[in-house]
Amino acid sequence: MSAERWKDDEALLESLRKGAPGAVDELLRLYQGKIFNLAMSILKNESDAEEAAQDVFMTVIRKADTFQGNSAFYSWIYRICVNTCLMRLRGKRRNETVSIEEFMPVFTDEGMHASPMDDWSKEVERNALNEELGRMIRKYTEELSDKYRVVFVLSDVEGLSNEETAKILGLTVPAIKSRLHRARLYLREQLSRYLLEGKAG
Amino acid sequence: MNCKELAYMLADYCDGSMDPRLREELDDHLSRCEPCMAFTKTFRTTCAETRKLREDIEYTIPPEVCERLQAFVRAAALKYPEKVREYRDQVERDRREKVAGLVGAAAAGKLSPATELVIESHCAACPGCRDYFDALRGTGAPKAGDTPEGIRPHVIALMQSLPPGEEFFLA
Repeated sequence: MSAERWKDDEALLESLRKGAPGAVDELLRLYQGKIFNLAMSILKNESDAEEAAQDVFMTVIRKADTFQGNSAFYSWIYRICVNTCLMRLRGKRRNETVSIEEFMPVFTDEGMHASPMDDWSKEVERNALNEELGRMIRKYTEELSDKYRVVFVLSDVEGLSNEETAKILGLTVPAIKSRLHRARLYLREQLSRYLLEGKAG
Repeated sequence: MNCKELAYMLADYCDGSMDPRLREELDDHLSRCEPCMAFTKTFRTTCAETRKLREDIEYTIPPEVCERLQAFVRAAALKYPEKVREYRDQVERDRREKVAGLVGAAAAGKLSPATELVIESHCAACPGCRDYFDALRGTGAPKAGDTPEGIRPHVIALMQSLPPGEEFFLA
């Protein structure tokens, strides 16, 4: 996060606290796209994401006064957004989540790969699979349980550092790293199965 | 290092945060193990494809969603402090009126029996209020709005201890 961004956020927070004219417009200008997209990534539904975004901005405006400033402003807003979205998800049954365990690599007792490994990396580079692969990655990501999906969205989709993601979710950096790695291992396995199936069929 | 260890160390290996000695060990294993080579390459490809997705994502918000969101937040942000202030002012006005009403009724000797009782039992334990109400009785009417700051919160508490709907003065 750049120093300039920091300064912008500080000034924005100060003007929100004072209720300065234009503060709310500035808040929206800087964050509405990010918040809406983050909510979309988590909720997967436009009207849910819109309502969540409304809630997020109202919470930010209401609580600007009490924000302690011991974390960065943007990570505070992201945290509010993640929490708002998770609360919404809790009310809904998501029956399409998969068990990540089924997609972890399998090893023998000696710690060797237990199943044959196919190297499909060259194929992906050679073929114009990109769009299709992107679609599959999105689909498989959506099927992850919230615990992994939120970490994956913040890190790999939003591009935040592990430290930033840890702060937003209130988790430790090692916990973030471990979840992220498992999510990537899961994706690799899903893509393997998808590409091999394509070959067989 | 075996294949299992390698698989779980790939995160550090790929992001370059791995200890150089471990990296050497890992490279050594990779050079001898075909499955791990395939695993690592496909893992890297998976990460790279995911990164590409990130580049494709723009911070777009559909124009109609954007419009509705802005209208909602602006309106609510404008109304919010106003609403809170209005509410607090109203509560404060109501309280002042009630306190003035009770003090006036006490001065005129027109308190309801229940209120009389509540005040009496409070005054037995609170010298400040006892002196105040003693001085008040029989004066006819107190000067408006001059309930002392030390007494006011007690009077408010007294009123709140009355049963709901209980009128504290006689008609």
